Amino acid sequence: MKSTFAIDLEKMSRTANVGIVVLFLLAGAAGHFASFYFHFLTVAFFLLVLLNVYWRHVQTSHALLANFGWLAQLRYIVESIGPELRQYLFASDTEERPFSRVKRAEVYRKAKGLDATAAFGSLLSYDRTELKLRHSFYPVDEDELEPFDVAIGASRQLDTTYHIRHPIMISAMSYGALGQNAVRALARGAKQAGATMNTGEGGHPKYHLMEGCDLIFQMGTAKFGVRTADGRLDEDKLAALAALDAIKMVEIKLSQGAKPGKGGLLPKEKITPEIAELRGVTMGQDVVSPAHHVECVDAESTVAFIGCVQRVSGLPTGIKFCLGRPDEFRALVQEMKRQGTVPDFITVDGGEGGTGAAPVSFLDEIGLPLFEALPLVHRILLDEGIRDRLAIFASGKLISAGKQLQAMSLGADVAYSARGFLLALGCIQALQCNQNTCPVGITTHQPELQRGLDIATKAQRVANYIEALHHDHVELLAAMGSSSARLLSEENVYAPSQGPVSWPVREPS
Amino acid sequence: MTHPKLTYLAQGVAALLLLTAATMKFVGDPGSVDLFERLGMEPVGRYGIAITELVAALLLLSPFAALGSVIAVAVMCGAIIAHVTQLGLVVNDDGGRLVAMLVVVLVCSVYVLISRRKQIPFVGDTL
Repeated sequence: MKSTFAIDLEKMSRTANVGIVVLFLLAGAAGHFASFYFHFLTVAFFLLVLLNVYWRHVQTSHALLANFGWLAQLRYIVESIGPELRQYLFASDTEERPFSRVKRAEVYRKAKGLDATAAFGSLLSYDRTELKLRHSFYPVDEDELEPFDVAIGASRQLDTTYHIRHPIMISAMSYGALGQNAVRALARGAKQAGATMNTGEGGHPKYHLMEGCDLIFQMGTAKFGVRTADGRLDEDKLAALAALDAIKMVEIKLSQGAKPGKGGLLPKEKITPEIAELRGVTMGQDVVSPAHHVECVDAESTVAFIGCVQRVSGLPTGIKFCLGRPDEFRALVQEMKRQGTVPDFITVDGGEGGTGAAPVSFLDEIGLPLFEALPLVHRILLDEGIRDRLAIFASGKLISAGKQLQAMSLGADVAYSARGFLLALGCIQALQCNQNTCPVGITTHQPELQRGLDIATKAQRVANYIEALHHDHVELLAAMGSSSARLLSEENVYAPSQGPVSWPVREPS
Repeated sequence: MTHPKLTYLAQGVAALLLLTAATMKFVGDPGSVDLFERLGMEPVGRYGIAITELVAALLLLSPFAALGSVIAVAVMCGAIIAHVTQLGLVVNDDGGRLVAMLVVVLVCSVYVLISRRKQIPFVGDTL
């Protein structure tokens, strides 16, 4: 049925295109015969007519403008301010991605140390869509809880065995991805709270080391900071780094959730003398991170490489990956058993991506989500009998204590978060991490944008966030009637049948 | 098509001439006053145009040079209309020097406009 109020765009735009010419002539006449002031309009319409002629008859790349002229430009203008309008005015508090305003506000609240209560019910769609924790009829007293302590490297009786004292660690974000102020604020906050921080794959962690917090050194596929000229492991450099007091563990990144199976490219324009020095690369040429470590071409060589890094560093050493095929992981675990080399921890990264810049096709379409991958990894390690020889770290949107405890129930020992800490630093989810234009000075190297990020203030927020999360952990654990996160199992999680995961959940019987 | 160094040169020349013109209007140079009286725009129009020229000149020297060039082109178009329709090409016996200066500013700002067209707010993406 044709609506009575249907607008004939073609007719309207024809009127509009003729209209500005008429207006130009009218204004010109008025300027000439009435008052010269009318020529302000003459000039404006003259320029608009010129522009319109260009749009209609010269340019060929915009069909709408060629067909309809200046009226169509209004559409582009309105569309261009759409994201801001939606974020500020029209998006509801629970619908934004990756983090809704409700979730962000919760992190801000923790970081600022504000009141923790809300009233009149949950703002989330509570029923049948999300994982939930199960509480117990018999909560335990909070002072009966064991202090959080996960020992990494204990199964190999290492002198360097490292004890993780907080259930949440700062996940891998390199200097390069983050500006120096952001790195230092995170590191100082971690130091204040006694938490552990991952350096990311940015090479020698100069700014991380400045604040003296405990660090996990991450080695990406390009091995920045510990590479030879041809991208292999420089054992001397790794040994020298591992000897530093602040570096407690080494994480070999096999893949990451943002772009599993793909290497990054560091364009030569972004390689400053400082970056070249920290990462150990030469200036003036692009540096390609390979999709995998050159040493690791199959299960056998991968396990051998893990063993090599464990031997050279002398530190607890683990691997990080985003799970793709469980059968490949099982084969890798069997190879570990055959060679007698077991990593001290495994980091399971969710496939939906994080701070790392990645092609949209990789962010959106590849890699298992965390809550699918985590139980699979846990189960395979149990089946193969080496679960007790290593710890599992989980990462992927774990920005609240509830989500972290769900991950722990499904097999994780410790949770990692990166974006949670960015929010604690003041991230407003402008989604410009890859453009060097971060308006709050976190993922940018522009001094005038970093100016607003005060290290001391933000470090305190980071520490507050860690401590508030730990506080929530204690309260939730007590409510679940469990004296330690170690005792949690998947029976502590309720997974609705229409929920986000496919694995069968055992109902507690 | 355009050369970055030439663009900066054009910005500088246009801004300098615009600043000169704006100053003459601000201080009430008798020649300017006479012209604006003949247009029936004295003194509001004189100060208004002077402010517009000043803004255009400052923008031309800033990262927003594209916007500055649009304003400069507009002001120069207006001035050409004035000279062609009412004032004449030779004013105050200057042998056409004022109009020549005006054309120089126009050419320079059109050059800036073309080379920086992508940076024009809102419409730049389509040019």
